Amino acid sequence: MTGRGLRLAAVLLAVAAFAYGWRVTRIDLGELVTKAHLVRPLVRDLLRPEILERVPRTQEVAVPVALGGAPPPLSPARGPRVEASSRSVRVGQEVELRGEGFAPGRPGRLVWRDATGAPSQLAQFTTDARGSFRLRVRIPDTLGDRGELVAVVVLPETAWRPSETLRLVAERMVETVFLALMGTAMGVVFAVPLSFLGARNLAHGTVGLAVYGTSRTVLNVFRSVEPLILATVFAVWVGIGPFAGVLALGVHSVASLGKLYSEAIEAIDPGPIEAVEATGASRLQVIRYAVIPQIVPQFIAFTIYRWDINVRMSTVIGFVGGGGIGFLLMQYINLLLWQKAATAVWAITLVVALMDYLSARVRERVV
Amino acid sequence: MARPFLKVEGLTKVYPGGVRALQDVSFEVARGEFVVVIGLSGSGKSTLLRCINRLVEPTAGRVWVDGVEVTALDREGVRRLRREIGMIFQQFNLVRRLPVLTNVLTGRLGYVPAWWSLVNYWPPDLVQRALDALERVGIRDKAYVRADQLSGGQQQRVGIARALMQEPKLILADEPVASLDPATSHSVLQYVEELNRREGITVLCSLHFLSLARRYGTRVIALKEGRLVFDGLPSEIDSHRFRQIYGEDAVEVEIA
Ligand SMILES: Nc1ncnc2c1ncn2[C@@H]1O[C@H](COP(=O)(O)OP(=O)(O)OP(=O)(O)O)[C@@H](O)[C@H]1O
Ligand SMILES: [Mg+2]
Repeated sequence: MTGRGLRLAAVLLAVAAFAYGWRVTRIDLGELVTKAHLVRPLVRDLLRPEILERVPRTQEVAVPVALGGAPPPLSPARGPRVEASSRSVRVGQEVELRGEGFAPGRPGRLVWRDATGAPSQLAQFTTDARGSFRLRVRIPDTLGDRGELVAVVVLPETAWRPSETLRLVAERMVETVFLALMGTAMGVVFAVPLSFLGARNLAHGTVGLAVYGTSRTVLNVFRSVEPLILATVFAVWVGIGPFAGVLALGVHSVASLGKLYSEAIEAIDPGPIEAVEATGASRLQVIRYAVIPQIVPQFIAFTIYRWDINVRMSTVIGFVGGGGIGFLLMQYINLLLWQKAATAVWAITLVVALMDYLSARVRERVV
Repeated sequence: MARPFLKVEGLTKVYPGGVRALQDVSFEVARGEFVVVIGLSGSGKSTLLRCINRLVEPTAGRVWVDGVEVTALDREGVRRLRREIGMIFQQFNLVRRLPVLTNVLTGRLGYVPAWWSLVNYWPPDLVQRALDALERVGIRDKAYVRADQLSGGQQQRVGIARALMQEPKLILADEPVASLDPATSHSVLQYVEELNRREGITVLCSLHFLSLARRYGTRVIALKEGRLVFDGLPSEIDSHRFRQIYGEDAVEVEIA
């Protein structure tokens, strides 16, 4: 066949492969337009994350009671007060409550808070023109030997406060950052020794070379395993949650840090090593005085960079059971709670950008 | 000559890859000599110096230093031998991120327990000696400065102070002034010369410029393509000898 014929065959083959690929992946660009209405509410919700929520202001007064035994002490309070006919009660007993000094003519509710703090509503009421109310309630069947009767009166004005979603997202975000930190720390602990053993320029003699080869192999094998698969395995092993994420990120970090570290070691100036060796220093002393001072800045830079990557990665790892913000985001998405999901997405974006910026600054500083 | 201080016999080095850097080199050096090694780039000067403290493993031949057969030593023996041989390098080879003082102290590593190094502990008397060594080379005020903040000449003086810490009986200097300007070159070589004259430390020093070899050497040996082609007094190198060593087209360059 001529060179021209070959070229023609190659082009035909490429076209055929492309056409087949188009078919099996069911590419239909028209759907992007015809189905746009499906994605519109989602995009709209993503642009409206739940950050603040409007809540009515309330007046709250709690009366602690004991179920059997002496009544607990009352803390003196200013403002609205509630008095109970008895504060040493048993289950099923009727108690009369008299409230004073609340906002006048406002709706209220009476809540029973048990020993664990779990609330249940007992009654509703409205305050009179002087801001008082009078109410009889029965002590419900409850756990523990104490509880609280709480009067909550709803005021006309409302207040903005961080939404429950934001609080949860922030909590999980902190968890994620620390998950990434612990994963990175685990990576460092194992990667440092492995990187010294796996640095070509420190390997001497047959034993040294064998150790070098082994360390390199271990690092390569670890690196070839996808962190998502690791996370799945560990989620089965130690249960869904942040610990599984730490383990998955840790194992992955050992491999990638180990490689970066040993490359940093291999890139150092051999001159000082030769000079310190020439003074009759032992191997460990050579490492301490000629190798370590040369690699510390890079090691710090790589570690921070890894932490940064691990924060990103841990969001994805959360999807497969690694805990943290990713797990929360996946739950929101599965429940089609797009506004809540949006809150998580924005939080991730913000934190990742911040980490990126900070790690770049620190790297600039140390190198 | 009575028992020579340094004896090299049939020294040969073939690098992996087949480069014959040294071929059957033999010579003797008496205690207290200042021997300059000259030769073109690639003639094997660095290899020769490194075979003497076994930073390079010779392929064949034998070396004795002060009665000890260097080429027969085991790892521990080599380590002990190196403690007594100071080495000075063209690129100074200081640990750039460490303070000058620590660089000087590393000259003593062969004598201190390994675990001291883990916590970077140095006993006060050694610190004092390191400061004295810096005093001798005129840069005591730089003791706590990071090594890479110093000029080339100052760095090489730190290199000399590091060698001094070893209280060596032999100094190997591998083109110690090749990265320095002429004036600085002289001041550095004068420190080496002083150690040679005052303390009787034997010096084996490779140099690029024949004028420097004539000025500082008590004896000159010349290498060409790994072979010893001259061994004699500096004054014996006339233009004929010069062309023998450096090739027919070479012109001698003076350094002030
Ligand atoms: N580690 C090595 N591996 C292989 N070949 C080497 C090695 N070191 C030196 N050589 C070769 O051995 C020969 C002698 O080198 P050497 O460094 O001893 O010469 P030199 O006289 O010190 O040269 P220069 O004046 O350039 O420093 C050169 O051809 C060099 O390429
Ligand atoms: Mg050289």
